[in-house]
Amino acid sequence: MPSPPVASRSAGAAAAAARRILHPSPLRPATRWATIKAATTTRTLTTSRHHLPASLSATTPTRTSSRPYHSYSHPPPPGPFTPIESLLLAAAYRHVPTHGFSPKALARGARDAGYLDISATIVPDGVFSLVQWHLVTQREALAARSAALSGDGQKGGGVASRVEALTWERLLGNAEVVGQWQEALAIMAQPSYVPASVKELAMLVDEIWFLAGDVAVDPTWYTKRASLSAIYAAAELFMTNDRSPGFHDTRDFLRRRLEEASEIGNLARSVREWLSFTTSASTNVLRSKGVQI
Amino acid sequence: MAVRPAQFRRALLQTPSRLRQQNTIQHSHPELQHLLSAASSPARLFSSTVTARALNTPDYAVPNPSRPTHFGFQTVTEAEKIERVATVFTSVAESYDRMNDLMSFGWHRIWKDHFVSSLNPGFSPLASGLDPRAPQHILDIAGGTGDIAFRMLHTAHIVNANPDVRVTISDINPAMLTVGKQRSTLLPASQQAALSFVEANAEDLTRTTPLSSPGTANPPTSAIPSASVDLYTVAFGIRNFSNIPAALREAYRVLKPGGVFACLEFSKADAHPLFNTLYKEWSFRAIPLIGQLVAGDRDSYQYLVESIEKFPSQADFRDMIIDAGFVVGGQGYEDLTGGVAAIHKGMKPRA
Ligand SMILES: C[S@@+](CC[C@H](N)C(=O)[O-])C[C@H]1O[C@@H](n2cnc3c(N)ncnc32)[C@H](O)[C@@H]1O
Repeated sequence: MPSPPVASRSAGAAAAAARRILHPSPLRPATRWATIKAATTTRTLTTSRHHLPASLSATTPTRTSSRPYHSYSHPPPPGPFTPIESLLLAAAYRHVPTHGFSPKALARGARDAGYLDISATIVPDGVFSLVQWHLVTQREALAARSAALSGDGQKGGGVASRVEALTWERLLGNAEVVGQWQEALAIMAQPSYVPASVKELAMLVDEIWFLAGDVAVDPTWYTKRASLSAIYAAAELFMTNDRSPGFHDTRDFLRRRLEEASEIGNLARSVREWLSFTTSASTNVLRSKGVQI
Repeated sequence: MAVRPAQFRRALLQTPSRLRQQNTIQHSHPELQHLLSAASSPARLFSSTVTARALNTPDYAVPNPSRPTHFGFQTVTEAEKIERVATVFTSVAESYDRMNDLMSFGWHRIWKDHFVSSLNPGFSPLASGLDPRAPQHILDIAGGTGDIAFRMLHTAHIVNANPDVRVTISDINPAMLTVGKQRSTLLPASQQAALSFVEANAEDLTRTTPLSSPGTANPPTSAIPSASVDLYTVAFGIRNFSNIPAALREAYRVLKPGGVFACLEFSKADAHPLFNTLYKEWSFRAIPLIGQLVAGDRDSYQYLVESIEKFPSQADFRDMIIDAGFVVGGQGYEDLTGGVAAIHKGMKPRA
C-alpha cells in the first residue's frame, strides 16, 4: 500500500485509517475519463497499483493498464470468473435466498447444472466466491439501472441526487439476499478475503460516481470516494436489520448520511460503526460455528 | 544418452509440435531402438494401452517404455523410472513418515488436512434422513500408506455423517500398500469396510490387481471403469510418475462428468526469493545427509529432493491438466506455505 496522502494527516487517525482501507480506484479520474471517451475496450481486473489525484500524491503515477469497463458499446465482461466458475456460481446463486452463501447452495447449484456434489469444490474460494459473484453481478447491473433512471427523467437532479439514487439502486440489489447478508459480511471480514472485499467496494463506489456523471478532478475526488464507501457500507448493514416496508428506513438513513457527509467527523463515525458492526456479526457467525471467542 | 535433460523438461511440458519432433529423435536413436525391443518386463506395466486409447490422444500422453524421462537429475527411460521409483519407495516405506516430516518441516500433515477439508468429501446438500445422500467413490492414487484416504473417510463418515462413501487406495508399489493396509486396521470397522486396496500403475488404470496376501498366485486383473469416480486424489505421488500426461488422461477417463481431479504436490516457492534460497539449501544439503543418518539411504532421499526440483511450475502443471481436458476455477491452483506445496484442481466437464 502507498503511504496515506498528506492531506489526510490533518484528519483524525480513524479517518486516515479508513482512507487507507477504503482506497479507491487504481486509475486517476482524468486518465480514466480520457480512456472511456476514447472507447478503449480492454479491461483488466488485476490492476493493483494505486493512483491518487496529482494534488494528493507526491509521485507522478504512471498508467499501467486501462480499465474502462463502462464502455456502453460492449457487453460487460464476465468478471474475474472462469466459464465453469460462472456456470457453477450462477446456479448456486439461485439457492442463496434459501440456503445462504453456503456450501449447501454451492452443491445444490452444481446438481442443478447437471454436475456432482463434489464439483463445486473447484471454485477457488468456495463461499467467498459466491459472495463475490453477488458483488460483481450487482455492480455490473448498475449501468443498466442507471440508464433506466435517466429514462425516468431523473437526470436533471445533479450529481448528488444521482449518487443517492444509484446507491439506493445498488442497495436494493441486496434485497433478495438481505436475510443472508450479515453472514456474507462475516465471510468478507475473514482476514484472507478483506483485500478483495475492500477492492470490490472501491470499484462499486467508483462506478457510482462515474455513472452519476462526476468528472471533477480535484482534491475532493479522493474524499468523495472514501465517504461514499463508508456510507454505503453503513447503509448496507443498516438494511440487514431493517423491517420497514420497502426498506424505507434504510432509504432515510442513506439520505441523512449523504447530507451529513460534508463534515469529516461523520465519515470517521460511519467507519467506526461499520467496523464494530462487522466485527460483532463475524463474532456471532464464528460462535455459531462453535469457535470459542 | 544422446538427449539432454533440458529437452526432457520441455518434453514433459509438452508443446505437442516439439514433442513430435522429440519422438522422431527417440525412435531413430539406435540405443533406444534396442531398449525398446529389450524392454520385456516393464511391457506388462504399459500393457496395450496404445490401442485402448482414444485416437486423439497425443503421442506424449501414451506411455512408451523407451521414451526418455527424468529420474531426479538423471535421464532414464520411462520403464527404468518405474523400476527405480519402486526401489526408492520400497526402501523408504518404513521411514516414510519421518521422510515427509523432514521434507516439509512437518507441514505435510497440515497440507493434507487442508487438502481434504477443501474437498469436503461426502458432503451432500440433501437433508439427512429425508432424501438419500449421493454415494461417492473416491480413488486415491499413489495412496501409499493411506494418509489421504484415512482423512477422506473420516471427513465423509464422521464429519459429514455420510457412510455412503468408499475409497479405493491405489499404488504401484505393494510394499507401500502393505504398510497402508496394516495401518488401516486401527480404523473403525465401518471405515475399514469402505476401503479397498489395489495395485495399479496410475498411467494405466485398465489393469489393476487387488492387493494380495503373499503367496496368492495370479490375482485377477480388472479395469477401473470409465466415468465411475467422483473424486480422484493424488498426494505427493505425481512427480514420481514416468508419464504425467498419460496419468492425467487416465484420471480424466475414470472420472464421472463433474468429477474432480485434485493433486497435492511439492511445488515452486520462487515468489519469495530469500525463502526459496533457504528452502533449497535445506533440501539439497540437509535432507540427503539426514536420509543417510536416519534411514541409511542417501540415494533415495537425494532422488526425492531432485524430483521436486524437476517437477513443473504451478502454471505449467495447470496447463498440463487443462491439456488433458479438465476445466479449472480461478488460476487452477492454490499455493501452500509460500508455494513449497500446491493444490491443483480440475473438473471433468460434461461432454
Ligand atoms: C511420497 S508417496 C505418497 C504417499 C501418500 N499419497 C501420501 O501423501 O503420504 C509416493 C507414492 O507414489 C507411488 N507411485 C510412484 N509411481 C507411481 C505410478 N506410476 N503409479 C502409481 N503410484 C506410483 C509410490 O509407490 C509411492 O507410494
